[in-house]
Amino acid sequence: MTTLVILPAGIAWLLAAVIAPLDGRRPLWGWLAATGLGASLLAVVLLLVRVLREGPVEVVAGGWPEGVGITLRADVLGASFAAVSLAVVLVAFVHEVLLGVRSRTFPALVLFLAAGLSGLFLTGDIFNFYVFFEISMTASYILTGYREENSQVRAAFIFAVVNLVGSVMFLSGIAGLYHLTGSLDMEVVAGRIGQVELSSIIPIATVIFVAFSLKIGLFPFHFWLPAVYVGSHAPVAAILSGAVANIGSYGLLRFGADVLPDALSFGAPVVLVLGVVSIVYGAMQAVSRHDTSEVMAYSTIGQVGYILVALAVGGPVGYAAAVVYSIVNSLNKALVFLAAQLRGPLAGAAFAVGAFSIAGVPPAVGFVGKIALFKTSIEAGGLLETTALVVLIFAGSALSFVYAFQVYQRAFLAREYRNNKRPSPRATRVLAISLAAFVLAVGLWPEPLLVLGTESAALLLEGLR
Amino acid sequence: MSAPINNTTSILTQTVAKLLLLPTFVAAFAILVKGYAQPGDGFSAGVVASLGVLLQYLVLGRREAERLVTVRNAPTIAGAGLLLSLSVAVVPLFLGDPVLTHYPRPGEDVVYLGTLELITPVLFDLGIFFLVFGFAVGAIGAFARTISEQEEYAGPGTEQLEDDT
Amino acid sequence: MILAISVVIAVVFASGAFLVLQRDLLRVVVGIVLISNSAILFIIAAGLSRGSAPIYPIDEGAVSDPLVQAMALTALVIGSSVAALLLAVVYRLYVSHGSIDIEEIFRMEMREAEELESMNKTELDPEEEEVADERKLEKEEPR
Repeated sequence: MTTLVILPAGIAWLLAAVIAPLDGRRPLWGWLAATGLGASLLAVVLLLVRVLREGPVEVVAGGWPEGVGITLRADVLGASFAAVSLAVVLVAFVHEVLLGVRSRTFPALVLFLAAGLSGLFLTGDIFNFYVFFEISMTASYILTGYREENSQVRAAFIFAVVNLVGSVMFLSGIAGLYHLTGSLDMEVVAGRIGQVELSSIIPIATVIFVAFSLKIGLFPFHFWLPAVYVGSHAPVAAILSGAVANIGSYGLLRFGADVLPDALSFGAPVVLVLGVVSIVYGAMQAVSRHDTSEVMAYSTIGQVGYILVALAVGGPVGYAAAVVYSIVNSLNKALVFLAAQLRGPLAGAAFAVGAFSIAGVPPAVGFVGKIALFKTSIEAGGLLETTALVVLIFAGSALSFVYAFQVYQRAFLAREYRNNKRPSPRATRVLAISLAAFVLAVGLWPEPLLVLGTESAALLLEGLR
Repeated sequence: MSAPINNTTSILTQTVAKLLLLPTFVAAFAILVKGYAQPGDGFSAGVVASLGVLLQYLVLGRREAERLVTVRNAPTIAGAGLLLSLSVAVVPLFLGDPVLTHYPRPGEDVVYLGTLELITPVLFDLGIFFLVFGFAVGAIGAFARTISEQEEYAGPGTEQLEDDT
Repeated sequence: MILAISVVIAVVFASGAFLVLQRDLLRVVVGIVLISNSAILFIIAAGLSRGSAPIYPIDEGAVSDPLVQAMALTALVIGSSVAALLLAVVYRLYVSHGSIDIEEIFRMEMREAEELESMNKTELDPEEEEVADERKLEKEEPR
C-alpha cells in the first residue's frame, strides 16, 4: 500500500490538469475540485494513521534502487503537516465556491497548490522538496492577485519577488548540501553531515534558515507580509497563512532539527532571540492596527515567534511544541480569516472562537498550544530563562487577547455592523461554524494532536542518536 | 489593427522565416527522439519548436502567426501534455509498481520502430514536449497580444486613469 | 576554474541584487532572473567535474556528474516560467496604473485610498466603506 504516499499529490495534480482548461467559475467544476481536494485529504489522513501505526512509508520513484531514484517518504511529521494544510485549503476553497468563484483558473490553481503542498510534505528528497515548493509558491503568487484589484496585483508582485529571492537562497543551500554530502536524500544527507566540519555547515544552514524565515514571515524578514495579507481576498489569506506558511515551519523543523541538528543547536540562541523579538514586535504592531486583516497579518508574525522559540529550545518537548503550535496556528488563522469577513447570525461566534484560540483561552485548541509552549519554557533550563520565557509567552498571550477582541469589537459589536443588514450566505457561515466547532473539539480532546507532536519530536530526535 | 510590422522586415526575411517553420519542428522532433541515446529531451525539443513559432511572431507579426493551428490551441496543447505525462507517471501504480516506473523493464524485449525504442519514457517526454511547447507558445502569444492591443489604443494607462477620477 | 566560476557567480548575483533594488519593475524582473541564474551557476559549481557524458554505454575514464545538470535544468525551467509570470504581472500593473515605477504606483494607490476616505468620511462608516469599495469595483469590472 505504498501507493498511499503518491495519492495526495497525484489526485490533486491530475485533477488540476483536467480542470485547468475548463471554466472554473462554473459551480460544477468548483465542486469537482473540492471533491478532489477531499480525496487528497482522505488519502493523507489514511496515510497519517498508517504512519502512526507502522512507522515511515517509503517509495523510490521509478523502481530505482534506493539512493539512486527520488525517494518519496511519508513520516509522521510530514503527514501531519500535509493533513492540516490540505484541510485548511479544502475549507477555504469550499468557502470560496460557496461565495462564487470569480476567476476561471481559481480551482485549478488551488489544486496545483494542494498538489505542491502534499508533494513537498511527503518527499524524502531535498531537490524534490524544492520543485514541489516552487509549484505551490507559484500557484500562491497568482492566487494573491485573485480578484485582480490593483492593490492585490501589486501585493502579488511584491510577494513573488521577495519569495523568489527566498527560493533562490534555498536553492543555493541545496547546492551547498549536495556539494558537502554528495546526496540529495534527506536521510543520507543527515547521516553524512555529521562528518562535515561545523564551520562549513553554518553558512548553508544560515541561508536555509533565512529562506524559510522569509516564507514564514519571521521578524526581520516580515516586511512583505502585511501588504500581502491586507490586500488578499479572505479565503486566499486563509490559504496563505493556514497552509502556505506551513512550508516555512515544516522546512525549519525538517532542515533544522532533522537534517542539520548540529547547526541548529549552534544557532539556537539566535533563533531564540529572533523568535522573542518576533513575538513582541508582532503583538505590539497588531494591537496598534485597526484593519482586521492588518491585525491578523501582524498577529501571524507574532505567532511565528512562538514556533521559533519552541524550535530553539528543542528536545522532545520543544519539537513537540513546535509541531503542535504550527498545527494549532494554521487552524486558528484559517478560522479567523474566514470568519472575519462573514456577517450574520453566529458569524461573530465563529470569529470569537478563533480569537479565543489565538489568545490561548480554554477550551479552544490554542490553549493546548500555549500549554505545550509553557512546558517548553520550563524545559529551557536555568531559572532565569524559564521565568523570562514564561513571562514572555504570558505577555504575548495577553496582548493577543487584546488585539483579537479589539478586532472582534470593531468587526462584530460596532453599531455599523448591526446596521449592516447583509448576512453572508448561510452555507459559508455553517462552514465557519463547523471549523470553529472543530477547533473547540480538538481543544477538548487534544490527545491525538499531542500524540502527533510527541511522535514527530521522537522522529526528529532519532537522527541525533 | 494595421498590417503587422512589415516595413521593418524584408521579403527575404519573411520567406526564410516561413520556410524555417517546418524544419524547426523536424529538428525539435529529432531532439525529442534521439534523447534516448544522445543528449536531448522533451524540454529542449519544446523550446526549439517554440523558437520556430517565436520567429513567425517576430517576422510576420501577430496576425500571420496566429493562423498557425498550434498557436490558437496552445493552452490545450499544454494541458494535454501535462495530462499525458502525469498519466504515464501514474499508470504503473495500477500495475503494482512505484510511480514513474517505465516499461519494458531493463532486460526485457523492446519493440523497435526503425532505430527508435518504443518505451514509455518516449510517451512521457512527448507529454513534456507538448507542455513546454504549449506553455512557451501561449506565453509568447499572450505577450504579443498585449503589444498589439497597446498599439491599437495608443497607451492604455492614461485613458483608464481619467475614467477613475 | 573554481575561482573563475565563483567570480562569475558573484558578479551575476550582485548585478541581479542591484537591479532588484531599482524602482523600475522591469529591472526588478531582470534582476530576479539574474539572481536565479546565479543560483543555477552555483548548483553547477557544486558538482563541478570533468568527464564524458553520462550516457550508456559509458566510455573508460571519468564521467561528469549528471545530477547537477538535471537540477540546473529543472531550476532553469522553474526560473523561466516564473519570469514569464512576473512579466505578466508587471504588464497588468502597467495597464492599471500606467506606470511601472513602484513608487509612482504606491503614490497613486495612496491617493486613491485618500480620495475614497475623504469621500466616505462625511456620512459613511467603516462597514459601508467596504460596500462602497465593492460597488466601485463592480463599476470598474467591465473594462
